Amino acid sequence: MIYKHQRIVFWVMVGCIVLMATLLFLERQRGRERILSLATQMPLDAPAASTEPVTLDLANDSDGSIHAEQRQMALPVEMNARVRALLDQLIAEYSLPGSTHPLQQGSAVSEVFLLPLPVVGYTANTSAPARVDGESPASTPVAGASPGTAAVNPGGELAVIDLRSTFVNQHPSGVEVESLTLLSFVGTLHANVPQIEQVRFLVDGQPRETLAGHADLLRTYPSRETATVVTAGGAQ
Amino acid sequence: MQAPAPSTPLAAPVYGPLNRNVIVLDAAHGGVDSGSRIGDSTLEKDVTLALAFRLRSLLTARGLTVVMTRESDAAQKPGPPPAGGSALTLDDRAGVANHARAAACLLLHATGAGEGVHLYSSELDPVPAEAAVLPWLTAQAAWVTQSEQLQARLGAAIRRADAPLVSSRASVRPVDSLTCPAVVVELAPESDDRNSITDGDYQQRVAEALAGALIFFVRQVQPPLLLPGDHAAGTAVQP
Repeated sequence: MIYKHQRIVFWVMVGCIVLMATLLFLERQRGRERILSLATQMPLDAPAASTEPVTLDLANDSDGSIHAEQRQMALPVEMNARVRALLDQLIAEYSLPGSTHPLQQGSAVSEVFLLPLPVVGYTANTSAPARVDGESPASTPVAGASPGTAAVNPGGELAVIDLRSTFVNQHPSGVEVESLTLLSFVGTLHANVPQIEQVRFLVDGQPRETLAGHADLLRTYPSRETATVVTAGGAQ
Repeated sequence: MQAPAPSTPLAAPVYGPLNRNVIVLDAAHGGVDSGSRIGDSTLEKDVTLALAFRLRSLLTARGLTVVMTRESDAAQKPGPPPAGGSALTLDDRAGVANHARAAACLLLHATGAGEGVHLYSSELDPVPAEAAVLPWLTAQAAWVTQSEQLQARLGAAIRRADAPLVSSRASVRPVDSLTCPAVVVELAPESDDRNSITDGDYQQRVAEALAGALIFFVRQVQPPLLLPGDHAAGTAVQP
């Protein structure tokens, strides 16, 4: 004999099962529609990236010069990726057999950050009343203390290039060879990304004194033309 | 009619202190930092120390006081532990040089690339006068003109010694933090043979040329003007 309360519990459980099945079905339908709507926005083919002329400042160890050479490259639109692609192309050129400035093959740049100038810091606002919790007074944003941190033109940016330690640790040591690498980076950025006015370097996200014992990695390099020779090169 | 304003006497230019008989020699690298490898068995740190010793002998023989940042393989801080005896950082080396208020500072390096002697001065843009407090990373800016004069003097002496010369500007740590006429002297092999960099005659010839130029330079170098109201000596401050 089945008691009444057992029948009630049974039918309540059946009702819950039906309700959950309905919810699952509806959620599945909704998720499917969302994926389909995203899929319709995706291009079926990769966008046809048109190549554009870029200028690479290529170093030459034999005479300590830097040659500006034209190449055709497909560059990303996004600015950070664009800077990174330019520097990766430089390293790829240097790792080719017969390079005039031989460097190890591999990716040199971990990240690129573009910061608007002037670089703003914060200072304690001593005129502001102390907070009720007794902590320090409010801070106010200020431009960097050095006049060199101001933008020369509106929209000027500081490029912070985070180098990989694998690249830095394998870099040849010497005043000239290290300086040429940095000037090559700076000159290439100046030629192709004019809004970059200053360049700084990090290694694995940390400041480092030198590239390989000589060239200064702590200073801010003004973006400038570094090439001493301009050559029209072949298409890439 | 307004009376003419009384003329105020022009303030005499004030220069910072400079020890004309003091030269700082920084033999780069040392200890675990061996610098670049030149040839099979030659390390940069050994070549820079050998050249520094040769220069010191020549300069002290001519009555100058030489301050060296290291006199043995490892550059160590003076004084008792824990600070004393620890490795000298690049900033420490700049501190030693700035404390001496030397008439010239030579940062000695060596390389297997190229030939002869490479001279580099700071890439900083020069400023006309020295402030009492200077940013650590750009303290050299007030001394760039003097550094270029020293570079020209050393370059002329190297040419007279028939050694190949490369003269340029570069940012080499810690030259931008120095408050003295400062030049990076990078010794390269005399010829295609990389081992020629350890040749005693070659090193002596280069050292004699450098010493002769330094003797002449310290007599005529003029320190930068101090900014009005900043009559304390320029002090570079680390961030």
